[in-house]
Amino acid sequence: MSLYLYLNKNTFIHRLNPITKIICLLLLFAAAMFFIHPLYLLILAGILLVIGISSGTLENLRKLWILMAMIGIFSFILWSIFYRGPTVILRYRFISVSEESLLYGLGMAVRLNIMLFSGLIFLSTTRIEDFTAGLNKLGVPFSASFALSLAFRLVPMFLGTASTIIEAQKSRGLDLDSGNIFQRIKKHIPLLIPVFVSALRTVDNLSVALESKGFGAGLKRTYYLQYDFRTADYLALSFIVVLNVFILYLRLQGVGNI
Amino acid sequence: MIFGIKEIFRMWGNTRMIVLTAISAAVYASVLIPFKAIPIIPGVTEVRPANALPIICSFMFGPAGAWGAAFGNLIGDFFGTLGPGTLFGFVGNFLYGYIPYKAWKCLSGEEPVSFWGIKSWAKFILTVSLASGSCGLFIGWGLDLLGFVPFSALANIITLNNLLVSLILSPFLLFLLYPRVKKWGLLYTDILTEDELSNGRFSRSGLVVTILAVAGGLVLGNLISTGLMSSGAGLGGGSGVGLGVLPIIIILLIGASLL
Repeated sequence: MSLYLYLNKNTFIHRLNPITKIICLLLLFAAAMFFIHPLYLLILAGILLVIGISSGTLENLRKLWILMAMIGIFSFILWSIFYRGPTVILRYRFISVSEESLLYGLGMAVRLNIMLFSGLIFLSTTRIEDFTAGLNKLGVPFSASFALSLAFRLVPMFLGTASTIIEAQKSRGLDLDSGNIFQRIKKHIPLLIPVFVSALRTVDNLSVALESKGFGAGLKRTYYLQYDFRTADYLALSFIVVLNVFILYLRLQGVGNI
Repeated sequence: MIFGIKEIFRMWGNTRMIVLTAISAAVYASVLIPFKAIPIIPGVTEVRPANALPIICSFMFGPAGAWGAAFGNLIGDFFGTLGPGTLFGFVGNFLYGYIPYKAWKCLSGEEPVSFWGIKSWAKFILTVSLASGSCGLFIGWGLDLLGFVPFSALANIITLNNLLVSLILSPFLLFLLYPRVKKWGLLYTDILTEDELSNGRFSRSGLVVTILAVAGGLVLGNLISTGLMSSGAGLGGGSGVGLGVLPIIIILLIGASLL
């Protein structure tokens, strides 16, 4: 079972070049930033939902909808209190809630969820190696994108090591399951030491293995995975650019404010 | 180079430092991920016992610990919270992993293994407070700018969360891990050559600027965010923290780069 959110499907979005996906993700974030009024943000959320359905990523949305709902509710409550508007409808000591702050809070809740859903579609349709290769093509130095890619690969390994250490300690009588959440966290802390030490043991082996394969030789690097720009990439990019230009035009006309 | 950030870039030419970056990031992410289920502000921050790790990785692995903190937080966001806030989380966590080893080097020439005297403890507390405050300030400012979470709700929580966890856990973890890492020759000072490390000529000035920026930024941000003071302009976020705190953020980055 994969630890990450990637769903192995063969949809239009899955087949896009990782650079296209990264640019589209950034432009979707930008699109969500233009509007403040929740109504216009909901229209954008609707467009995103269509993208989500066509990319077959709704099963991940089903897994995370509670988190997204909590984020929305929290954002709504916080901004309703902190945003200051002229039409006050409730005042209690230093806390005041206005009509504008309620609309702003609702808008921010929708905006935050649009961005999280955009990120979710990206994560569900992009493999880690495609993401790091995309970063590399966008100008991130190879050593940095390699370190990131290696870290992604090491996470399941370290989680596995931690699980083995926990099971070994439990078999020796360590009780990790009783007590409240903070007591349980406290009991887990000393287990960090063997996990960390086990991780550090791999440093020299990994470094030697990498250097023996020519890592850091400084010559021009070639890549096994090749990513071409196809018609679908140009279509996807055109759609997102036109969407952003249209939203910017509306915003300049004063649409989407509260 | 007048800035003290030479090793931040030069380390990418050293394979062992690159592997240490990946390992720091992976260990940090591995501890962050299980606690995503216990949020403080849903989708933004959670209970993070893992926050002790960037501090100890910074003391041991220097720049690799800083990049590791940034990458580790990015990986943590890949479990459902990827968004524009990820960029601010990346820089905030980078500062959280970058400031400890630089500030400690400037404040004390000793090894960060045991803090028996009051002076050592005071220096350690200052170092960790600076790192926690700079992380809270940067992420709090960034997410308020984007209109996600008000500065006063987030910056204070991140600062306190980082500070408490790292003050309680880091000395214990450092005491156990530092001698072992030193014995294996994995301290950044053992891996990088003198030429690859910055000389820290302006580190004292950098430290003073960083302390003023962190303290000033947190106070100003809270005043603007709670409406006790007006920034005169708002950008993105509803509380006007975006432009009001921006000059202090620039000063913080300059101060940190001089360390």
